Amino acid sequence: MSANKHPLYAARKAWTLVPALVMTLAACAAPPPAAAPAAPAAEQPAAPAAEMSFWAKAAEPYKGVTIRGISESTPPSNYVKDVLAPAFEKETGIRVDFETTSWDQQYDKAIKDMEAGTGIYDFVYIEQDIIYSYLKNNYLTNLTQMLKDKPELASPDFDISKFTSFINYFKDPSTGDVYGIPMEAFVKVYVYRKDLFDDPEVQKAFKEKTGRDLKPATTFEEYAEIADFFTEWGKDKELWGTTVQAVTGHPASFYEFFETIAPSFGVYNWGISQDYRASVDKGGSLNGDKAKKALEFWVGQLKNAPPEATKSTWDEVAATFAAGRAAQGWIYGENVAWIASDPTRSKVVGKVGVALPPTAEGVIEEAKAGKGYIGYYDGGAFGIPVSSKNKEAALLWLQYIGQPAVQPEWAAKSARIVHTDTFNDPKVAEMDTQTNGYYTLLREQGPLFAGAPPFPFHAQLREVIAPFIYKAITGELSPSDALDQAAKAADEELVKLGYAK
Amino acid sequence: MRRVPRNIGLTVLWIGVTILTLFPIYWLFVISARSRVELFEPQRLIQTTFFAENYIRPLSDRTFRGYIINSVIIATGNALLVTILAVAATYALSRYRLKGSSNIFFWTITNRMAPPAAFLLPLFLLYARVLKIGDWKMFDTHIGLILLYCVFNLPFAIWLLKSIMDGIPIELDEAARVDGATTRMVLFRIIIPLAAPGIAITAILSWVFAWNEYLFAATLTSVTARTITTGLAEFVTVTGTNWGEMAAVSVIALLPALLFLALVQKYIVIGLTFGAVK
Amino acid sequence: MQSPRTGWGLLAPTLIILAITGLLPFLYVVYVGFFDWNPFAATKDMVFAGVNNYRRLVFDNDFLQSLGRTLVFAVCAVASELVLGFLLAQTLTKEFPGKTFFRTVFALPLMVAPIAVGATWRLLTMPGLGPLPYYLDKLFGLNYNIGIFSDQATLTLVLMDIWHWTPFVTLVFLAGLISLPKEPFEQAQVDGANRWQIFRYLTVPMLMPIILTTVFIRMMDALRIVDEAWMLTNGGPGTSTLFIGIHIWRIVFPKTDYGYGSAMSLLVLYLTIVLCWLLFVAITSARQHEVEGMRG
Repeated sequence: MSANKHPLYAARKAWTLVPALVMTLAACAAPPPAAAPAAPAAEQPAAPAAEMSFWAKAAEPYKGVTIRGISESTPPSNYVKDVLAPAFEKETGIRVDFETTSWDQQYDKAIKDMEAGTGIYDFVYIEQDIIYSYLKNNYLTNLTQMLKDKPELASPDFDISKFTSFINYFKDPSTGDVYGIPMEAFVKVYVYRKDLFDDPEVQKAFKEKTGRDLKPATTFEEYAEIADFFTEWGKDKELWGTTVQAVTGHPASFYEFFETIAPSFGVYNWGISQDYRASVDKGGSLNGDKAKKALEFWVGQLKNAPPEATKSTWDEVAATFAAGRAAQGWIYGENVAWIASDPTRSKVVGKVGVALPPTAEGVIEEAKAGKGYIGYYDGGAFGIPVSSKNKEAALLWLQYIGQPAVQPEWAAKSARIVHTDTFNDPKVAEMDTQTNGYYTLLREQGPLFAGAPPFPFHAQLREVIAPFIYKAITGELSPSDALDQAAKAADEELVKLGYAK
Repeated sequence: MRRVPRNIGLTVLWIGVTILTLFPIYWLFVISARSRVELFEPQRLIQTTFFAENYIRPLSDRTFRGYIINSVIIATGNALLVTILAVAATYALSRYRLKGSSNIFFWTITNRMAPPAAFLLPLFLLYARVLKIGDWKMFDTHIGLILLYCVFNLPFAIWLLKSIMDGIPIELDEAARVDGATTRMVLFRIIIPLAAPGIAITAILSWVFAWNEYLFAATLTSVTARTITTGLAEFVTVTGTNWGEMAAVSVIALLPALLFLALVQKYIVIGLTFGAVK
Repeated sequence: MQSPRTGWGLLAPTLIILAITGLLPFLYVVYVGFFDWNPFAATKDMVFAGVNNYRRLVFDNDFLQSLGRTLVFAVCAVASELVLGFLLAQTLTKEFPGKTFFRTVFALPLMVAPIAVGATWRLLTMPGLGPLPYYLDKLFGLNYNIGIFSDQATLTLVLMDIWHWTPFVTLVFLAGLISLPKEPFEQAQVDGANRWQIFRYLTVPMLMPIILTTVFIRMMDALRIVDEAWMLTNGGPGTSTLFIGIHIWRIVFPKTDYGYGSAMSLLVLYLTIVLCWLLFVAITSARQHEVEGMRG
């Protein structure tokens, strides 16, 4: 065969297109017209102008250093990225390269980095529930120790005692040393459409239907009744009775059930006992009656939820509510502020009411007595991986975001509060009105909520239990069977991991 | 002589097929032009406004821009490496009698056919713990992915170029050798110019395959070498609700496909069947 | 012919790179598969476990179901693609207005990144946003929601795979059909064979090597599916689309069960190689058959 006749010979012109592609792509990569969002002057934390600030002085040796961090893309993190990081860079000359990505990706990346000891990240997001796993594997730098060892890096404005009790979650229980500086803290609350609940027409219809007055639910019976009513009433209005965070294949559904629904039915710590047992006959409560009732209720509410519910993580649930597609629901507090106040993303601005989640009988009393909790006090902190190569600069940065001056604005923008004093700030008070009292609720009822149980095997056990929750959502398993099987699988896994003997 | 259009029924059939082919991609463009609030509005298939923010925001994000650059570096590096290696290897396979060279076929093809998921863990552990020099690790480096993509790009490149090399008459080499040419001169003066079109196709297809790869990139990189496909996956879960930006990023990710389509569609069959079907 | 040493020298870089990226991980996965190893277990270190991981694997229902559903998906998708691809290839052997344009556009999905294919289909099928659920409900009153109904999710993934890969099958078959010799067909028509007979006794046997090659390549690719399914369904609803690739990923990364994950990886690799080899033998023997047929 002659070479000239080969079919590929005709494609000689192909060469000329290669540079064209490279150029096109290079154009994509070129700096865009709108550079990184610069913080408006008013939002910059006030810095003493007269003398050289502490930050500038302490950061002198690290000028020009870039520290890299990763977090979940939540409103508080995005505020850090857009406002605090540029402000810190301006003041210290330390560049903060802060990546905000999805919840699963940030775990994947941060854990891989710390497990491999690559040293890519100088600070990482520590979600409250994963801290015990991180501590067990010695991923994190002891900040208390480091501040003691390097007094020249300790800011006079930074004071651990100013934080709310939430910081205790980031201490090593045995020594009391701090491993993470809280940057967000919020509760998952009951959110309802105040405009609809206050509408006399709606109230009348509800009264006619049920014989009761329409008001925010405090029990699960009331919740179900309201959900049924609005689903029926909203049939041709693109409105449903409730949100359900019931995506399958993503752990968000696992979390809504075990952190919000199950505790408010009186099942705490995922139903895992002190000596790490799950099933009832071994001393756990994962497949107890309360848990089964909780799952039955929750899965039962899918009929009152919009069709996207089974594809919804926390993001979609917030978006569903913001789109005005649900009359009530459980929403993470970090999203409450924008849902209630940002018209570019929300259609229900000014129409949002917040209250305590409904609970089963006796649960509130248990929570008040410190024997239980009614929902999830969620949040996260920034910590410094042991593998970081710029620990000093990162330590300055963590103190910077932990100082009182930056707290109020940040709290108003993203509904998170980590300092006790922040509650009294006028900016926060203003947002409190807009959200119909979310901040007051956080302050007054916060202690009724709790963080995740101190399991060093958090993700491992979650992966084992979650598929059964997914199967209960699709109806493949009844709630009772799902929890029985989940408890059995959880017990096996805990033995395999070596925690339950 | 003038031909009357016939088989007009087939044209109608293919109009239907084309609509089905293009609709999902059309919908991607539509969503990429919508703002968040627009997404909540009732269903409609036509889009008249364009919400440029969806494109501007990811492109002005330093991290995401880095991903695009990484993708270009990795795809280009891999395409160059694969092409050079494949030219050398196929020249050897075509012109030298090497013992056991036929077994290499089966070996390379199993490399290409192996389920990538089975290699995720060992590769991650190797890259993160074993393959390191001092502080430097293969994990999260461009070179790590460039080398890795050879696993699935080299087999097809070799079997694509092998048939082309075999098609170049050996008499040409021999004549040159008689005139005193070295192996290098034979390669550069005779083989490469004659095989140039095939080499170009090999390079382009390698480039596209490397650009499109997701699973390994997601596993073996973190930031410095992360690629656009992983960026896309991050966008989905992150902005669960921000479908507009996700669609815009998808559009950016499929640009090379659109650019190269007309050029290589004839040869993609050869590429995907390792030259088994021409 | 020159000295083989130069030849090996030219081949060496290829072999070395494939050894590092192909062979080394294989050996490593064999090694880790003999250990219990989870960095988040009570003991962080590797503990020798013999063949325990493999023993568990054989009775692991989740794993076996995951293999089963991957196989079902692959068979459904590939079978549909073969039928559709063959029919479309037949139409492309004829002349009609616009053929080149249609053929070019048709190949577009082949070049799109699988992850972007998944994203595209996610936008199409998203309840409350995508046109698919909306129009299915409006026109046919069909409650379509791939977040709830397992069979719909699997079917949607099959449809997506058909959209993505039918062009490939079509183009391969087209290349095959064009290359077939004309005489036997003309002869058959003279002999009065009907269309079905021509298809059954001429086209299929003559195209057999190409059909088998296509089945081989498509099956291997369909069994490897991760990106598209991960993007579209995340393995849900329930675990109905948790294909083996995603299953391994979940065991290995979020659950960090390195030892068990390695054993699973190796077993899947082994099964793939066996299947690969069976199909490979089938192709070779079909080729052989064809050659003998021509001789006879």
